[in-house]
Amino acid sequence: MKEIFNVALAQISCQQADKAKNLTKIKRIVAKAKKRGAELVIFPELSLTGYVVRDEIYELAERIPGPSTETMEEVAKKNQIHLVFGMPEISAKTEATLHNSAVLIGPEGFIGKYHKMYLPTHSIFEEKRYFRPGYETAVFDTELGKLGLIICYDIYFPEVTRLTRLKGAELIVCISASPGVRRAFFEVLTVARAIENTAFLAFVNLAGIQDGLQFWGGSRLIGPSGRILVQAKYDEDDFVMGEVNYPDVRSIEAFVPTLRDLRPELFDQLKKGAEEI
Amino acid sequence: MKLTSQALNLDWPEVDRRICRFIKDYVEKSKAKGVVLGLSGGVDSCTIAALSARAIGGRNVLGLMLFEKETRRTEDVRHAELVAKEFGFKTATVDITRTLESFYHSAPIFKPTDKLSKGNVKARTRMIYIYYYANRYHLIVCGSSDKSETMMGYFTKWGDVAADISPIMDLYKTQVRKLAQHIGIPEEVAEKPSTPALWPGQSAENELGMKYEQLDLILFGLEHFMRTEEIAVQLHMKKQLVDDVKHRWLSAEHKRRMLLTAKLEYRTVGADFRLQRNPL
Repeated sequence: MKEIFNVALAQISCQQADKAKNLTKIKRIVAKAKKRGAELVIFPELSLTGYVVRDEIYELAERIPGPSTETMEEVAKKNQIHLVFGMPEISAKTEATLHNSAVLIGPEGFIGKYHKMYLPTHSIFEEKRYFRPGYETAVFDTELGKLGLIICYDIYFPEVTRLTRLKGAELIVCISASPGVRRAFFEVLTVARAIENTAFLAFVNLAGIQDGLQFWGGSRLIGPSGRILVQAKYDEDDFVMGEVNYPDVRSIEAFVPTLRDLRPELFDQLKKGAEEI
Repeated sequence: MKLTSQALNLDWPEVDRRICRFIKDYVEKSKAKGVVLGLSGGVDSCTIAALSARAIGGRNVLGLMLFEKETRRTEDVRHAELVAKEFGFKTATVDITRTLESFYHSAPIFKPTDKLSKGNVKARTRMIYIYYYANRYHLIVCGSSDKSETMMGYFTKWGDVAADISPIMDLYKTQVRKLAQHIGIPEEVAEKPSTPALWPGQSAENELGMKYEQLDLILFGLEHFMRTEEIAVQLHMKKQLVDDVKHRWLSAEHKRRMLLTAKLEYRTVGADFRLQRNPL
């Protein structure tokens, strides 16, 4: 397992409902990331289709593995690189249920996927109208260590990141489609999740405008002490690279031992409290 | 939440930037040659014209001055021209008096004393001219409705509110005035009392029954899910006054939505046919 490696944060704007165009863009960026020495390239939430596609999502969703993940597998194999991206998934079991999924692909092919657990359905968001929530956090053993996947609104619920961390993830990837009105929240939450879990957190947000929603970009790689190691521009397409250095996790966990100090009995109380709201 | 003028304060450079990006993005995606808008000389249309000019260049922005003899004011013409010169966008003037008179004479039921119906004809006639220019020159129509008048239903259905995009519809009137000042609209325009110019001497604040400074705070409270009791206490107003504003806001929803139909089939236009807004 590599202790130190480069991550590319591929902050892109997407063509709504045009998978072919988005895949072309993704392929171009992956090649660029490889040339620059990245071992992992991360694209935003629903970067295959765009975020605002509404009822077209039913036609756009695919199985995982499926045609688009196969294309991405070819891209990963050709470039010998790891990829994370977002797409709408149709359940192979029911052929009728959709998930908002994050997909992890490695140089050898498909590694795993994550179903978004918290689906915002308020304000301008309507995800529960389309998607079934996930029920499990996702951590995968890779050459780049244990990678955890979460998606956007999950970050408002510290238990998702916490569980991901407790399953061993030292790099937590959060892909996102966050509009500008939420920027202030995410700028705090992304840093907080990294600090409280003493883990690297790579947040990759959409850029561009879809149906009047202006995605704020601002993707960042945050170190386990909460320091923003690298940050992309606001609003526009951008590509930035940062270094993950796992020994920093050990160092900060000795300095502020948040995992050592966890109190399991409080989680029982938390469960009871949540049930009684 | 405290209902003070401070609550309506925004990061004006950021608002300016976001609106300009929004206009530019939509024009580019629609592959239009620019925007056309009705330029009355009031703060809303002058601000939108100026923002459009900053977003896509003044040569791609056409402000249409659609005056008619009953409501034409020299001051409005001067203000429109002043802002056009300052921000470098194009203008064209059309006197719509004859079109209106033709309508008045040809409609058998026309009643000159019915001010509102007559005024709505003016707003809708202006809309027809604006869309004609849009079609002829392949422009998109940029509306200049603000949030105060949109929430209150203080506009003509299919008239002044008709547009392809409405970039300042999420800003209250007092916020539009602040944004106007931020981008350099002359103060005499930014602070000018608003009028829809449907009949001579019409004043928005008189018709709405209060100053925009008060109205906007009531609407802001309603937007933030506050109860009318709380709003009235904070603003030292009678609850009935706040209730009246809330009632007017709710009862105008029919003016803000499109195409209500009877639900009969699987998926229905305007109800559960949920598609992306494709400007192409």
